[in-house]
Amino acid sequence: MTDRCDRRWRLTLTLLAGAALAGPAQAATPRNALVMAWNIDAISTFDPAQIGEVVTSELIQNTCDALASFDPKDEARVVPALAERWEVAEDGRQITFHLRDKLVFPSGNPGTAQDLAWSMQRVVKLGFGNAATLTEYGFSKANVEQMISAPDERTLVMKLDKPYPTNLILQAIAANRVATMQDRKTLMANEVNGDLGNKYLATHTACVGPYRLRQWNSGESVVLEANENHWAGAPKLRRVIIRHVAEAGTQRLLLEKGDVDVARDLTPEDMQAIEKMPGITLARTLKPQLVYWGFNNAHPAFAQEKVRLAMRYLIDYEALGKTVMAYNGVPRASFVQLGAFGALDAKEGQPFSLDLARARQLLSEAGYPDGFEAGMIFSTLPYAAPIAQHIQANAAKVGVRLKLEQMANAQLFARHRGREFETVIAAWQTSIPDAQGNASRLIANPDNRAEAKLTQFPSWRHSFQSESANRIAAEALLERDEEKRAALYHQLQRDMMQSGPTAIMFQTVHLAGVRTSLKNWTWHGFGSYYDMAYKE
Amino acid sequence: MPAATSLGAWLRAPVPASPFQARMQAFWLGWRRLRRNPPALIGAAMLLVLIAVAAFAPLIATHDIYAQDLMARLQPPSAVHWLGTDDLGRDIFSRLVFGARITLYIAFLAALIAAPLGLVIGATAGYLGGWTDTVLMRLVDIFLSFPSLILALAFVAALGPGIENAIIAISLAAWPPIARLARAETLTVRQSDYIAAVRLQGASRLRIIVHHVMPMCIPSVVVRITLNMAAIILTAAGLGFLGLGAQPPSPEWGAMLSTGRQFVMTSWWIAAIPGTAILLTSLAFNLFGDGLRDVLDPRHG
Amino acid sequence: MADVAAMPARRRGRGNTAALPGWVGKAARLIVSIAVTLFGLMALTFFIGRMLPLDPVAAILGDNATQEAYEAMQRQLGLDQPLYIQFAHYVYDIARLDFGTALTTGKPVLDDIGRVFPATIELATVGILIGTGLGIPLGVLAAAYRDTAIDYFVRVFGLLGYSTPNFWLGLMGLVLFYATLGWVEGPGRIDTAYQWDIEPVTDLLLLDTAMAGQWDIFRNAFGHIILPASILGFGAMAYISRMTRSFMLEQLAQEYVIAARVKGLSWGRTVWVHAFRNVAVQVVTVVALAYAFLLEGAVLTETVFAWPGFGRYLTNALLGGDMNAVVGCTLVVGIIFVGLNLLSDLLYRVFDPRTR
Repeated sequence: MTDRCDRRWRLTLTLLAGAALAGPAQAATPRNALVMAWNIDAISTFDPAQIGEVVTSELIQNTCDALASFDPKDEARVVPALAERWEVAEDGRQITFHLRDKLVFPSGNPGTAQDLAWSMQRVVKLGFGNAATLTEYGFSKANVEQMISAPDERTLVMKLDKPYPTNLILQAIAANRVATMQDRKTLMANEVNGDLGNKYLATHTACVGPYRLRQWNSGESVVLEANENHWAGAPKLRRVIIRHVAEAGTQRLLLEKGDVDVARDLTPEDMQAIEKMPGITLARTLKPQLVYWGFNNAHPAFAQEKVRLAMRYLIDYEALGKTVMAYNGVPRASFVQLGAFGALDAKEGQPFSLDLARARQLLSEAGYPDGFEAGMIFSTLPYAAPIAQHIQANAAKVGVRLKLEQMANAQLFARHRGREFETVIAAWQTSIPDAQGNASRLIANPDNRAEAKLTQFPSWRHSFQSESANRIAAEALLERDEEKRAALYHQLQRDMMQSGPTAIMFQTVHLAGVRTSLKNWTWHGFGSYYDMAYKE
Repeated sequence: MPAATSLGAWLRAPVPASPFQARMQAFWLGWRRLRRNPPALIGAAMLLVLIAVAAFAPLIATHDIYAQDLMARLQPPSAVHWLGTDDLGRDIFSRLVFGARITLYIAFLAALIAAPLGLVIGATAGYLGGWTDTVLMRLVDIFLSFPSLILALAFVAALGPGIENAIIAISLAAWPPIARLARAETLTVRQSDYIAAVRLQGASRLRIIVHHVMPMCIPSVVVRITLNMAAIILTAAGLGFLGLGAQPPSPEWGAMLSTGRQFVMTSWWIAAIPGTAILLTSLAFNLFGDGLRDVLDPRHG
Repeated sequence: MADVAAMPARRRGRGNTAALPGWVGKAARLIVSIAVTLFGLMALTFFIGRMLPLDPVAAILGDNATQEAYEAMQRQLGLDQPLYIQFAHYVYDIARLDFGTALTTGKPVLDDIGRVFPATIELATVGILIGTGLGIPLGVLAAAYRDTAIDYFVRVFGLLGYSTPNFWLGLMGLVLFYATLGWVEGPGRIDTAYQWDIEPVTDLLLLDTAMAGQWDIFRNAFGHIILPASILGFGAMAYISRMTRSFMLEQLAQEYVIAARVKGLSWGRTVWVHAFRNVAVQVVTVVALAYAFLLEGAVLTETVFAWPGFGRYLTNALLGGDMNAVVGCTLVVGIIFVGLNLLSDLLYRVFDPRTR
């Protein structure tokens, strides 16, 4: 069949059956650049002390090296980065990091341990969300200058208030963006009103890493440029160009046409179609992010364990997992993500299934035989609306009348943080592959009073406090025997699946369509490694 | 048929015997003019069909519009699902049918808010003149300084998403042109002899505005608002498209289209179908409004 | 769609306002009136901004911030002060052309708007060229052959332009012309491969590449712009053809047209040369207004086409909870509208033989 006939036939097929097919022209991306289509709306700054979004986290990871790094091949392992080695004191309360030689900032200034110590202190002093990463382990504005110090240009000493498990500290702090090395001289030269360079970093990067930020046009593109003098060697691709494309459909088109090498926000339907296409492969990896249906435990109905448990039986984990979340999530009811230390396995971590009779029975036992009314807020994320409607339809069958309200993320955050909701569909991402990451935020709640305003704790937002859960979490944190520690977390997960503040629904999956011309796209739940990719 | 003949004669009588007869005669004349305008008739017919569909939606729909079937999602049109299914496996045809109710609800309610508001403000400004006029018209100017979609977007962002808020936002954006029109009409009426006569009889300003000025403005306002309904429907669809209009699981057409946008490459009909419905409805209002203008407001021919 | 039919009515209304003697008085009145309108614009946008349920502090600090940091930021933004003081600050800042910093970009709102505007100007200009190029001839033809098939065709075609949700048309256009047929380029202004080869002079890609003689890039940029511009132009065409038709009908009913016919002038010559010359000024003012309304159409069209312009900036700000940017954009659109309305009025007054 000739090409023309073939195309006409395809058109007919497209119009009748709706199969979308690639057009004739094949554009190509520059050979020395990685071109990515991604929704990068969330970028608002490049200050590692302030960022929290997935996009900026990944960009910082590729522009700013930290003391240590997650092994690209195994996310649970920590490998050296800025520090070439480290020693732990006998009592487990001090870690000494030895930095590499010849670390140079883009400005040409040499990078020293003093810069690094200053950068870490800066995170605590600025007090943005990321400060909690350090304050959680006993660092505070008052003590951080004593606890993190640099006795010489290549040595950094970190003191700890308690003998935390070393691996946990390496994951949580050393491999985290709070331990990146910022160019102190440049930042202080650009300081505005004592902001320690926060305003400057809104549009710049000033650190040691495989790439550096060359250009950012909000809502349009980000361009990274390779650091030719990087300690690990110059990255193979000289530029990384990220195009802001909000529409999944558009991203798919660009990928099919070869206008981009990687598309980051494809829908399951796109994935299904792309899977069969020549020249494109699917890349998937589990994210340390949980999508959950959260209940405000101050609501009289949700204050009852049995009501919260009943809600879990309204979710058809299996059907949603096969359709709406087919490619971008796996069912998960435990609060610890798969792949983390202490996580229950896939089977034990998701024992629920759609069971209206059971839900009805639990509601009756709790004193709500005829159900009740409640609101449900959710964001504009593509999976949120179908999940919300799915739950709403099932809830209606047992008399629980849910009123849905969709809103922008910023608005959702505000409502969630202010406890101004009845139920919410939200997502929470932890920064460490350890059960402690979520246990400390989703479950433990040090102070449930309204005036405590622990808004960074989802447990507080849900007005949930359980003394026994708090106790187990605290005990597990300082347990030095790994087996016992894991057992404690297992117990906590089993308890919380029955009585926890939220119905955890899915662990999300990082998805990307990658053109085969791009080789060695490397990523896992804690990072993507642009510098490892290359083209032939 | 003598009854028809006498009715015809009554309608065609050269001198009407009662105000009622006069009004009926005016309607009759208008109808005859409308009848000679095929596009307007087509528009009217489309609107009638739409209203009938909305009224008898439960009879026409083939499925429960909220019933989900995840295993039968994103299906193309078939004998079971005439227009296919959406991302939760709901029947698109049935949702489209019920969506007609929402579209008409938005259009008529927004018109019912905007038209009286504009009429009162415009007639008051025009009749009273002076400072009242200056202040009110300045207000109108300020509102008219924004394109209606952008103003509605800003208002709905402020009020929060939802169908009621969308209607309020759309009405807030739709009244100023009507006020301006009503004022212009009032200015031409104000100087007329019969108003002077009523005034000499001692009628209050309020009475004159409500009973004698406003009725004169109604025909042109009706024409405007009919044409406006097309714009209202498009604005509502735009808000729904951005997720700021009716909230799920409502089968509002703009919201359906917004869902379809995610699947446009694989299941194009999910977006194509509600879009076509929006287009046809908006077109019907435009066709009918255009014809109505020819009838009621011949100056604009 | 825009409230286009409001415009002629508005002009009729204007005629009544008592004119002060002399152009000085007129100018003073005009300036006062503009100032009052601008003040009203500011009050309205401020009001909308304060009503927004979006939390600017949460938008800056993110999901993870402590309450202490939250309150500090609130003080820094001045959100703890009484409303009238906030409004005074707002007016003062705008007078200094400071629209605040966009939360989503970290840059001054006005800089952002300046950066994204060329893309919208380019799109709207190509759109208006298409709309005018089709709209005027169609309008004239419809008037010249009133109540014929041509007339009906033009009117219905025009009404379609009024009735189509342009974001939907864009979506369908992309599926058909880009994904299936491959006739046009995809979303965005230009292919990534070319992005770094352009020397920005005017930031209008078609102009920049043409001036530099980079014809392959020009072709690519044209391929990108043609579909969204045609869709915007369709709406403009509807408005322009409709207004042109109605102006022409008015002219063709005049006596001089009959006189010209009696003198033996051809119908075509009478229509195009004599009648059209008399409506040209009115048509120009309509085109100016249509251009302004393209801004509105651009909001959703740009969203669908990932066009990095003003409209998409506004929707991003709206969905991202960026209060400063939403308010700033609304205000800028308001000012542009006031300006274009004024321009169209001026054109009308200066050039129209009857008002002179």
